[in-house]
Amino acid sequence: MSPAATPLTQETEASVRAIGEADVLVGIPSFNNAGTIGHVVRAVSAGLAKYFPAARAVLVNSDGGSSDGTPDVVARAGVDLGAMLISDRQSPLHKIITPYQGIPGKGSAFRTIFEIARRVNAKACAVVDSDLRSITPEWVELLIRPLLEEGYDYVAPYYLRHKYDGTITNSIAYPLTRALYGQRIRQPIGGDFGFSGRLAEHYLDQQVWESEVARFGIDIWMTTEAIASGARVCQSFLGAKIHNPKDPAADLSAMLVQVVGALFALMEEHHRVWAIMDGSNQVKLYGFQYEVGVEPVHVNVDRMIGHFRQGLADLEPIWRQMLAIETMEGLWPLHDCPLQAFRIPDELWARLVYDAAISYHRRVLPREHLLKALTPLYLGRTATFVLETQGLTSAEAEGRIETVCEAFERQKPYLLERWGKP
Amino acid sequence: MNDFWTQALVGPLETLGKKLLALLPNVLAMVIILAVGLAAAWALGCLVERLLRVVGLDHLADRLGVNAALARGGVKTDPSRLAGRAVHWVVLIVAAMAGLGALNLQPVNQFAQSLLAYVPHLLTAAVILAVGYLLSNFSSQAVLIAAVNASLPPARLVAACSRWGVQLVAVAMALEQLGIAQHIVVVGFGLAFGGVVLAAALAFGLGARDLAKEFLERQFGRTEGQNKDDLTHL
Repeated sequence: MSPAATPLTQETEASVRAIGEADVLVGIPSFNNAGTIGHVVRAVSAGLAKYFPAARAVLVNSDGGSSDGTPDVVARAGVDLGAMLISDRQSPLHKIITPYQGIPGKGSAFRTIFEIARRVNAKACAVVDSDLRSITPEWVELLIRPLLEEGYDYVAPYYLRHKYDGTITNSIAYPLTRALYGQRIRQPIGGDFGFSGRLAEHYLDQQVWESEVARFGIDIWMTTEAIASGARVCQSFLGAKIHNPKDPAADLSAMLVQVVGALFALMEEHHRVWAIMDGSNQVKLYGFQYEVGVEPVHVNVDRMIGHFRQGLADLEPIWRQMLAIETMEGLWPLHDCPLQAFRIPDELWARLVYDAAISYHRRVLPREHLLKALTPLYLGRTATFVLETQGLTSAEAEGRIETVCEAFERQKPYLLERWGKP
Repeated sequence: MNDFWTQALVGPLETLGKKLLALLPNVLAMVIILAVGLAAAWALGCLVERLLRVVGLDHLADRLGVNAALARGGVKTDPSRLAGRAVHWVVLIVAAMAGLGALNLQPVNQFAQSLLAYVPHLLTAAVILAVGYLLSNFSSQAVLIAAVNASLPPARLVAACSRWGVQLVAVAMALEQLGIAQHIVVVGFGLAFGGVVLAAALAFGLGARDLAKEFLERQFGRTEGQNKDDLTHL
């Protein structure tokens, strides 16, 4: 049974009817992004004019009730096509600025974008974050063209990142997604994606819009749902992703609850898909790749290890409930070892994540407690990664992430064996 | 003299004997009721437990997460056994009431009636204690994890305080429900709770002033540039 159509405001309904049909749609979810969204709208407008001059294009701003004038900035933002040497724009860009309805969150904003994409029968769509500072017109081409010309259904972003940027992605989201679903999507929680109109319709038909997905976890949900539904998936190299710092109130354990909670919940939903998947495949990467030098960044490894050790001392009864005995035995030697010798080995880390997923599935603890109790373990693993990659370039550090992924793939039989057991 | 003995001793003894003889069938009935009740409680308890095991209640409870919830609350017994024990005790209490009623004595009847009227309070108090126990385990676990994630050194102490605080509230509420020294319980609880909060405030503010300063500075980012990591997690 398909869920009911997503409600749109009367004004938006009228705009959709006036547009009729469209070829390309780009969505920008926002909430109080007046300072940055103008640049994003200009980049998207220029990208659509430059790379898809003949396409009937729509730009949708799905806003969560901003009080800083974000919709006004979107309405005013325009680009001087002449200055960009674009003279063959044949179709005007339609703008729809609409508030979204439902549970507050990025997921609900996306739902409205998907609904408008369905109403205008868009062939190719993309969504980009509204706080991006590094977006260029080329992003639009890289996210849209594989859908229109190569027959893909989903385009994941591939960013140029510092080796210590995105450590939850590197140590959990990427290795776990790759081992489970067999697709090497490097940035499964990137935030900027391209997807076909067909896939947008599939997303809309899922019964998730009253769940946590509507609030957060939409990024990993979109990627996983695309793979699990058998959609054709590729990646596009977008260069660096520079955006405003995230909400400082969102602490690390809250991030883990969001991302890892979504990953584990999707494991339950798609058990039949990942249970039969063996190994992993390369995913086609579009775009011109390049590297930049690595700037030194400050990382307080001692503090991370101290955090892990406090967890080992104080959370031991909780960890015993959620981890296998052998996994706990592997952690104990880390309590007293010298700081420079501190390592959570790849295989142990993979088993630890699988143990946590199984305990989440069996509900041996309140789920939020389980996810938050992972924080010291994750910091221990991040400290290991930093100690192992000190002095390495980002490309060399990428090699270390590759070995972590291989460990997750090797340990998958362990997950399969324990998942079904009571 | 003989009349005196007959009137003073034999007469009352005869009356007592007659009363006892009149009561004897009732006592016998009470003993029989209690014996049957005991046997019925045992048999029904076992029957219900086995029946629930056969129909797979434990398996169902496991799938619904009830077993995990009980384990989280520190209850290791499975639901079938719990239900069996509950039936056992309910039958036993009913049998005891019926047994006391069989005596047909005014004071005992009144006692049985007042005991019966007290049962709802007892049950409510038991539910309050059980919920309080489960809630205290849940909250202390949440507090422990939050305290460790905030790098608070006395994380276990903080968690233990939250556990005992919730259990103290539950006990106070249960005693109030039972009508035991209601005012003393309320005043005692207020004093104890206020004392704990004041002691904690003083201990944190004076005894652990540096710790408090460090913690607050960390929370409000005053130490930015000293301990802040440049890595980003997402």
